[in-house]
Amino acid sequence: MRGLERPRFLKYIHKWKNLVSFSTDKIARANKIAQDGVELNGEIISASKVFKTYDTGRVKVEALRGVDLLVKKGEMVAIMGPSGCGKTTLLNCLSGLDSTDSGEIFIEDMELHRLPDDQRSDYRARRMGFVFQLYNLLPVLTAVENVEMPLLVSGIGQKEARERSLEMLDKVGLSGWVRHLPGELSGGQRQRVTIARALVNNPAIIWADEPTGDLDSETTQEIMDLMLTLNKENAQTFVMVTHSQEVGQMADRIVRMRDGRIADDGLAAAKNGGAKG
Amino acid sequence: MQELFGVSMNLLMVILLSIFIAIMAVVGFMAWRNRIMLKLGLRNIPRRRAQTILIVVGSMLSAVIIAAAFGTGDTISFSIRDATIQGLGNIDEIVTSARGGGGFQAGGLPYFPRSRFDELQRDLAGFDAIDGMAPSIGGRAPALNLRTSLTDGQTEIVAVDPDFMQGFGEFQSVSGGDFSLNSLSENGVAVNAEAMEEMELRTGDTVRLFLEGQEIDFQVEGVVEDGGFAGANPTVLMPLDRGQALFDRPGQINSIAVSNRGGAVSGAEASEEVATRLRVLFADRGVAEELRVLLNRQEVLSLLEQREETLTGNIQGDIATLRQELQLPQVSDGLIRVLADSAVRGQVLDILGEGGLAQLEGQADTLFGNLSEMDVTEIKRTLLELADAAGSGVTTFFIVLGLFSVMVGVLLIFLIFVMLAAARRTEMGMARALGAKRGHLVQMFMFEGTTYDLVAAALGTTIGLGVGLLLMAFANQIVAGSSEDFRFLYRIEPRSAVVAYCLGMIITFATVVVSAYRVSRMNIVEAVRGLPEVMKPVDEEAISLRLSQLGWSLIRPLVFLARFFIRLAGSQFAGALRSLGAFALWILLVPWFVDIAAALVKFAWPYVLRGWLTLLFGAYITYLGVGPWNQTASFTIGVSLMIVGLGMMLRMAATRWEGITPAIGLLTAVGGAVTLGHGIVASNALSSLIGAGLLLAGLIMTAASQFRKGAMPPDFVDRQAFTFIGLIMLGWWILPFDTLEPVIGDLNGGIEMFFVSGVSVVAAAVWTVMYNADLLLKATGFVSSGIGKIRPVVVIAVAYPMSAKFRTGLTLAMFALVIFTLIVMSILNNAFGNTLSDADEVTGGWDIEATVAPNSPIEDIRGAIEAEPGLNPSDFAAIGGFIVAPVVARQGNAESQRWEGSSVQAVDDGFLNATEYDFQIIADGYGPARQDVWQALKDNPNLAVVSYATAPSQDGGGFGDQGPDFQLEGMTVEDVTMSPIDIEVLEPQSDTMVPYTVIGVLRAVADNSGNILISKESVDAAFPFPVPLTTYRFRAAEGVDVKETSRALESSFLENGAETSVLKEVIDQAVSVNRGFNNLMTGFMGMGLVVGIAALGVISLRAVVERRQHIGVLRAIGYRQGMIQLSFLFESSFVALLGVIIGVALGAIISYNLVQSIANDIPGLQFSMPWLQISVIIVITYLFSMLTTYLPARQAGNVHPAEALRYE
Repeated sequence: MRGLERPRFLKYIHKWKNLVSFSTDKIARANKIAQDGVELNGEIISASKVFKTYDTGRVKVEALRGVDLLVKKGEMVAIMGPSGCGKTTLLNCLSGLDSTDSGEIFIEDMELHRLPDDQRSDYRARRMGFVFQLYNLLPVLTAVENVEMPLLVSGIGQKEARERSLEMLDKVGLSGWVRHLPGELSGGQRQRVTIARALVNNPAIIWADEPTGDLDSETTQEIMDLMLTLNKENAQTFVMVTHSQEVGQMADRIVRMRDGRIADDGLAAAKNGGAKG
Repeated sequence: MQELFGVSMNLLMVILLSIFIAIMAVVGFMAWRNRIMLKLGLRNIPRRRAQTILIVVGSMLSAVIIAAAFGTGDTISFSIRDATIQGLGNIDEIVTSARGGGGFQAGGLPYFPRSRFDELQRDLAGFDAIDGMAPSIGGRAPALNLRTSLTDGQTEIVAVDPDFMQGFGEFQSVSGGDFSLNSLSENGVAVNAEAMEEMELRTGDTVRLFLEGQEIDFQVEGVVEDGGFAGANPTVLMPLDRGQALFDRPGQINSIAVSNRGGAVSGAEASEEVATRLRVLFADRGVAEELRVLLNRQEVLSLLEQREETLTGNIQGDIATLRQELQLPQVSDGLIRVLADSAVRGQVLDILGEGGLAQLEGQADTLFGNLSEMDVTEIKRTLLELADAAGSGVTTFFIVLGLFSVMVGVLLIFLIFVMLAAARRTEMGMARALGAKRGHLVQMFMFEGTTYDLVAAALGTTIGLGVGLLLMAFANQIVAGSSEDFRFLYRIEPRSAVVAYCLGMIITFATVVVSAYRVSRMNIVEAVRGLPEVMKPVDEEAISLRLSQLGWSLIRPLVFLARFFIRLAGSQFAGALRSLGAFALWILLVPWFVDIAAALVKFAWPYVLRGWLTLLFGAYITYLGVGPWNQTASFTIGVSLMIVGLGMMLRMAATRWEGITPAIGLLTAVGGAVTLGHGIVASNALSSLIGAGLLLAGLIMTAASQFRKGAMPPDFVDRQAFTFIGLIMLGWWILPFDTLEPVIGDLNGGIEMFFVSGVSVVAAAVWTVMYNADLLLKATGFVSSGIGKIRPVVVIAVAYPMSAKFRTGLTLAMFALVIFTLIVMSILNNAFGNTLSDADEVTGGWDIEATVAPNSPIEDIRGAIEAEPGLNPSDFAAIGGFIVAPVVARQGNAESQRWEGSSVQAVDDGFLNATEYDFQIIADGYGPARQDVWQALKDNPNLAVVSYATAPSQDGGGFGDQGPDFQLEGMTVEDVTMSPIDIEVLEPQSDTMVPYTVIGVLRAVADNSGNILISKESVDAAFPFPVPLTTYRFRAAEGVDVKETSRALESSFLENGAETSVLKEVIDQAVSVNRGFNNLMTGFMGMGLVVGIAALGVISLRAVVERRQHIGVLRAIGYRQGMIQLSFLFESSFVALLGVIIGVALGAIISYNLVQSIANDIPGLQFSMPWLQISVIIVITYLFSMLTTYLPARQAGNVHPAEALRYE
């Protein structure tokens, strides 16, 4: 699909322009942020007028039609809305997994989309964590190996990576299951591993797409409690997409989407006592 | 080509066609019964075009290899047949005198009165199997075209009576039309086309012949086509009376040519009948009766029967006839025919000699000598048979070599089906959920696979024929380098194409069925949950169920028949007809047989898995191998099965009683200790190494199970058991070949052992590696932990292949197998190529060889050179001369005192002074240097040395058939020393007997022309007539142009019929032809490599699709594009390199064993690694593997994370 978004040569020109326009000091800054993060007082995520269209060749789907969004550091935001309203697309665009057609997205004061792919990957490895629906663990690696993956990618030594991963798995209550393959774990256990993996790097932002999608209500509660605790302990920013009203209610704020636009950014509700209220 | 593996091609075709038809009938029947599964199966074919093409290409490999082998065999067979028929024309048999021949008076064939021919004509009046007989004289002389000064040293002279050309056909003039020798004028001759080419002779030229010091000029009055009497070498033809005058043999002839009824090709069919009639006519019935009485005794008959079983082809039939006819009350014509056959005679004397019946042997030998006054040579039939044998031999050879590629192809099909099944897991799950049985899934895959197979076999056969054509084109290139006129004429018989198609189709079909069965056993739940594949046995069915299945399979046709009657009685005619149809199909034997066989296997399978049945079966095969069959393959495979059985039994025991696990390790250790012990005692480095390795592994395994606390998990037990099997098997197969010889004796094993041992050793290695993959994983992880950023890439790259063990194991096996064969081939090529690398050792330090016509020898070579203006005596550092003559010989103290055929090479002092031939063994008291031996020969004319081929080899193998009949006794070539051996040499022509003492055995590489080297002085002293030197060898002085000197020698001694050759060139040519054919073979085997590499590409492509979502996750975690690409490349590298390592290591070990074992027969053969060639193989393999993986890897790297995560 990706190749169909725009003519191939345009893509190359775009890439080339990016590379040229990207001066070395910007790269140096990006690297520094990727390494240390920045001290932000205000928003960690700021998006304005983000547009995104999927062109399948036969139909064009306008997934995002000018989204504006601000997320504060340490905030837990739930993005909700009916199916096909663009929640996951927004998450993917904000986290830099997907490209945008236009608009600006700043993460930690940095335009992620303007970074070359490798820098973006490095940034993800060091500053972001992802929690997806089930089955997004690598089935061929054990729980601890899955968790230590982001650390290794960030260039942390094997020994330290293993120690930190075990510590993290202990934190999510899986110290007895570290050498099991994902296939040997229950749904809730697998999602805990995913969370451990997302948090092991002590990232600034954790993106979660339907983190409790396939779980029963009891496990959902467990997972959410875990995420809330971690959110509070480490003051990490959580952005999650969810269908579940219950899950949404546990967030600081609920952003509601409809037809590719933000219908309600939840700020008003938050001022009046937050989503939890 | 008439036979393959000793089975007639016609029979083979009938069998294979029957199997093919049976398969199609069964598949058709199933399709008719189960149309939904047929539809489901066939529907998959057009859905993915690229995939379909890939599968067809993968499935056609067996047919390609087989068809290429057949094309090569047919071509070789046809080319030799063609050359034979071209050369002989209508001549089918040649009758010559049985008296005399051989000896130093090398005047060619012995003469007999022409009147014998006239008598024969009268005797054969009315015998219609012969349509022509001609009296003739054949001889040789140097010839010169006076006009062009071009010469030929060994021109054939054929004189034939022109009035008896009926049946042979007239000569054909090259300018068209018949040509009769009657049309020649008084001084006229005809020449053949070859002579025209060689000497540029044409009508009107004068050709000068040099005979016995005389120069005789003839007028060329016609040029005729080659073939028949005109032969294939340069030939001068003349009427019989002129020939008699030329050779000074008035009223005499030396051969009678016979043409059988029918044409040039069909004439050979009557050969047996004609030969019988002729031999009966020529035989002395009284002598034949004496022979019959002598040989018609139980001990001889049973010896004949034993020998008969070891023979193939016509000689087998002849021995069978001999056995039957001997037992008749009186001499029959059939008995005379076989008794007068020299091949049969050789076999009989051989059997008697080997059977310890020396006295009988002596009597029979004398009687055989007196049996017939004339020898009848069935020349055409023999040569045609040879052509067929050569074709079959080459086909067999190529098929056996090709088996590796066929095996790789089979693995690829298997792999493809495993992956197809993986891709269709959901589809299959749904089908099962809807009520489809496992059998239905098997059928579904089978319908699909059979369709691919039918197309693939046809395509493969066609491509294989093309490959054969290409191979033969290369072969023609190679032989074009040597001066021979022979060319391969591409030919494929329709029968061979049918056999290739059926064979390819059946092999692929069998693979399809087995893989369909395998993939139908996949656990659907596991598949859905995304668990990695696990190699674990399926729960066995209850014995009652299996018994009932077996029972049903036995009586199934009867059930159909019963149904038919029941339905007939119930007037259900359509149903009755169906039952009758089913009954008919089943009773056509094959389905019924397959049904019973399948039920039997199903019944026995659980016991095979438990090990005891495997062990028993292995023991039985081992017994057959050591006992009745006397086959290495059977013995070694039997032992392997026993090892597997034992391992499985231990595994079974370990699951029930956990205390037994250390025993597995202990047993491995014991195996190692025994091997190590043997290695130390036999001071064999390889055995010691294997033993030490096994011992260490066994101890580790024991320790591992000791330290293991609590219950043994099944995978731990499996690892122990399968590592035990793998390691012991590996050790067993890489033991040196002769390790067990003292215990089990010398078993028969041929080229098939190369395949058997190759496949077994690779399988054992892959098996061991795959069951210990996690250790490898840890090791790789440990190594890569120091390389920072690479580590996450390596972890992924190794984890995936190790989680799909079955798939990885298959690919690894393919790679290892191909690399293994290529390594073995190149090491062997290298070893053989190096045997001739020291030219001086081969030629004895000579540079030029010149042969002269025996009837016009050079009297004094040194003087003659001085007298020649074109030659400078100082150009020659040394000159030696010799003559070679066929003789018979016997050893003084040997058991058999029969005279046996050999040849002497009588060398002059010049030769003895300068030769540099080296010795394998020097007799006590005559060494230590080679010069001492040659000096001794010079000093004492009654000393001799013998060729390498005259000394027997310890294991009886090696030269065997190629060596002379006369073999020394009481020593072997492997001995370090020998005592002088007294022998007697008899020159049959003059009945002169000379005693000699053998004081040395030459090296195998020496290019000596005779088997017993003696000084010419001894010959001159013993014989009443002068013995000429017919061959000279020259050593050029420093700085002399050898080529130029060789040419000068040839032209200077033209009158003596001199033909010279530069020995270094001869060797180089032999080496280059040899190397060319070796490379051709390596190329043929390299076809498997293409498949192996393609398999890696297929796997990578498939992996990109399967792992899309995982790639998304990895990208989200922070893997860069390049890291994803790299991990894919690493993954392929991991499999390719592991395969390369296994292949190279095992290839080197097995080649080492092979070289050691062949070196017993061909000393000078030394093991060395051709590192350059091996590096090239490795680099090419790796490079192409990476190239095929690069595209999928790029694709993987370009996977967009957001999309991949959405991808379901």
